[in-house]
Amino acid sequence: MLKAVELSKRYEDGHLALDALNLEIKSGEIFFLLGANGAGKTTTINLFLNFIEPSSGQVLINDIDVVKNPLETKKYVSFVSENVMLYGNFSARQNLDFFAKLGGKKDLTKQDYYNVMRSVGLQEAAFEKKLKTFSKGMRQKVGLAIAIIKDADNIILDEPTSGLDPKSASELMQILINLKNTGKSILMCTHDIFRAKTVADRVGIMKEGRLVMLRDKEQFLTDDLEKIYLNYMQEAVMFNDTTSKI
Amino acid sequence: MIWLIAKKDFLLNLTSPRFIIGFILCLVIIPFTMLVSIDGFRNQMRIHEVDVAEQTDYWNGIMVYSGVRPTILKTPEPLSIFTQGIQGNMGSSVHIEFGEYPTLLSGHAGTRDNPLLNAFFSIDFTTVIAILMSLLALVFSYDLFTREKEDGTLKLVFTNAVSRTSFLSGKFLGILITLLPILLFCFILSIILILTAPDITFSISDWIGIGLIFFTSIIYLMLFILMGMLISALSKSSSVSIVISLLIWIWMLFLVPDIAYYSSQSIYKVPTYDNIRYSLDELDREFENATNDKWGSIQKELNMDGVGHWNWNGGGDGYDEMYGCTYEANEFHRRLNIWREPMRLNYADKKWAFQKSWLDALAKQERIRQMISWLSPSEIFTQISSNLSRTSADTYLTYMEKVREYRETLITYFKDKSLFSSFTYFTPQDPKSFVKQADLNAMAESGEIDWVHFKVPATWGPDYYKPLNLDDVPKFNHQMATSSETFKQSIGLLIGLLLPGIVFLTAIIIIFMKYDVR
Repeated sequence: MLKAVELSKRYEDGHLALDALNLEIKSGEIFFLLGANGAGKTTTINLFLNFIEPSSGQVLINDIDVVKNPLETKKYVSFVSENVMLYGNFSARQNLDFFAKLGGKKDLTKQDYYNVMRSVGLQEAAFEKKLKTFSKGMRQKVGLAIAIIKDADNIILDEPTSGLDPKSASELMQILINLKNTGKSILMCTHDIFRAKTVADRVGIMKEGRLVMLRDKEQFLTDDLEKIYLNYMQEAVMFNDTTSKI
Repeated sequence: MIWLIAKKDFLLNLTSPRFIIGFILCLVIIPFTMLVSIDGFRNQMRIHEVDVAEQTDYWNGIMVYSGVRPTILKTPEPLSIFTQGIQGNMGSSVHIEFGEYPTLLSGHAGTRDNPLLNAFFSIDFTTVIAILMSLLALVFSYDLFTREKEDGTLKLVFTNAVSRTSFLSGKFLGILITLLPILLFCFILSIILILTAPDITFSISDWIGIGLIFFTSIIYLMLFILMGMLISALSKSSSVSIVISLLIWIWMLFLVPDIAYYSSQSIYKVPTYDNIRYSLDELDREFENATNDKWGSIQKELNMDGVGHWNWNGGGDGYDEMYGCTYEANEFHRRLNIWREPMRLNYADKKWAFQKSWLDALAKQERIRQMISWLSPSEIFTQISSNLSRTSADTYLTYMEKVREYRETLITYFKDKSLFSSFTYFTPQDPKSFVKQADLNAMAESGEIDWVHFKVPATWGPDYYKPLNLDDVPKFNHQMATSSETFKQSIGLLIGLLLPGIVFLTAIIIIFMKYDVR
């Protein structure tokens, strides 16, 4: 379970990146966090991962305070970034082995690694190849395999489909659904409204550090989600334009 | 967790071009360096053996005590193969004189058969280690954090339950276990080359010395790893970090030694030895004049017109070897020596005042150079290695103190045995065989002695006598400091090497605790 309570973040330059965010992603739920660039999505992720400290409010993972027990909470969370960059001189399996052990999984066999890599759709021939030869899509799959093999209760993804071809993106979504069905809480930050409609259980839209809209599946299936999102985006763009003119 | 991160870095380092280049560099440089050093040492040993043989011949042929002026021959230090220190630039012998205190070693300084080859630039093993290991440590650590940050792996690592101290420890250990085999390889390679040289033998103390140099090398290596880590933690990008690292490396390895040398000469001026020599020559002239005066007064005492010798060998520092002299001439020399030799010692003391101030100035200038060079860990490392190899300036100065102490012991022996007032000081002849001038004249008139046809008694020639038995004359028997003693002497410097390491480590921990891993 991922939870933000009245969570705010103001950077040293005075910019309020996150303003009193309240959010709870339950077990077996995929939550899509949408928003324009600078809306506060990445700040939210960084707060969940304890890369930055909140100005106020609380961040909880499995009801444990991230700020008070950062190492403990990291046992229960996996992360897939927008552009997975692993150790280029290691093979996919070696990367998986290193991060699995780092995540506390010590007794895994080579076959276990192969199974996970198969499950994310990586070609067998790529298992022992150096990662520096991989395409972005293949790296994303290895990144996802790392997140899966950790077997954490919560998975956070930061625009994982960015730059992926449609087939790879679809495969990735199917994997997320499978993970959700095993009881994982999944927070995915993205611009991809179309994927949100098909995969998400709930969708939130952020704007200027605030969660301005929250819809569950029943609501956003009936609403014109694209239109709502585009309206918010447009306002954000206009706002940015005005700001730049000022 | 620490080992996991270290192992990962070790495996990545092993396949990196920098490791391969570093390893090849060591593989090429170390054997050539060692071969040149071993060759130099063997030449020194050969020269030493010839000098020892000459000195033994000289010692075994001494006929009179005024000829007992031993030459101390310093045995070349086997560990100079590792750290040449001052050995290559100093002589290896010192002649003991009563008229002057020994100051510095003289004799052979160059180690090559062809002196023109002395222009050939060669560096010793520890200098190679100081240059290579510091460079490799910086090359492996300069982008330790920046590279992971630029690659995005740092962020991914810290999404796991990894503490920052574990990460730091793992990263440090990763480089250490990468470079330690290279360092070990360098030492093993050099030891193999020494062992294959048939005429070089190392004592247990020497082996301990090598072990201690290896130990110091590890601390030196760790210091530069920590330095690189600190630079990486402070830099925003790898390109900035490499520039800073290289600038610091050049500063420490090449600029600090020159600055220390130049500054020590500017801060503390030492008069040239020519100036000192001028004062010493003045005293020598004064002593000679006083001796000439005394010569005349003793002649008067003995009512002698002149001092004739049938067979006389002489040299500096009171050396006189006479045969076939009259009783009066022998008595003249005995009386002269009773006055002259203590006076010689007296003048040596006067000269020593100048020499000592000059030596003290040299030592002070060297001390200033050493202190300034502590700005560079490489210089501290080289100084420790010189101490452990017994080739440092301090070791030489201590050696010369022992030589001067030996001179005093020898003089005390002469005084205790009243040798200055003895005929044996200048002639092996039995005083009973001395002929008075009047008797000598009678012998010449009777034809018993024929000066023209060299018809003289057999006792008037050196071949009649056996050389002196000098078994009870004190010998110079200074034991050089053992490795454990030199190590104890180097503890202060070792702390000087450890202290910046602790400061760097503390700074890295403080900085990395707040390091933005995103």
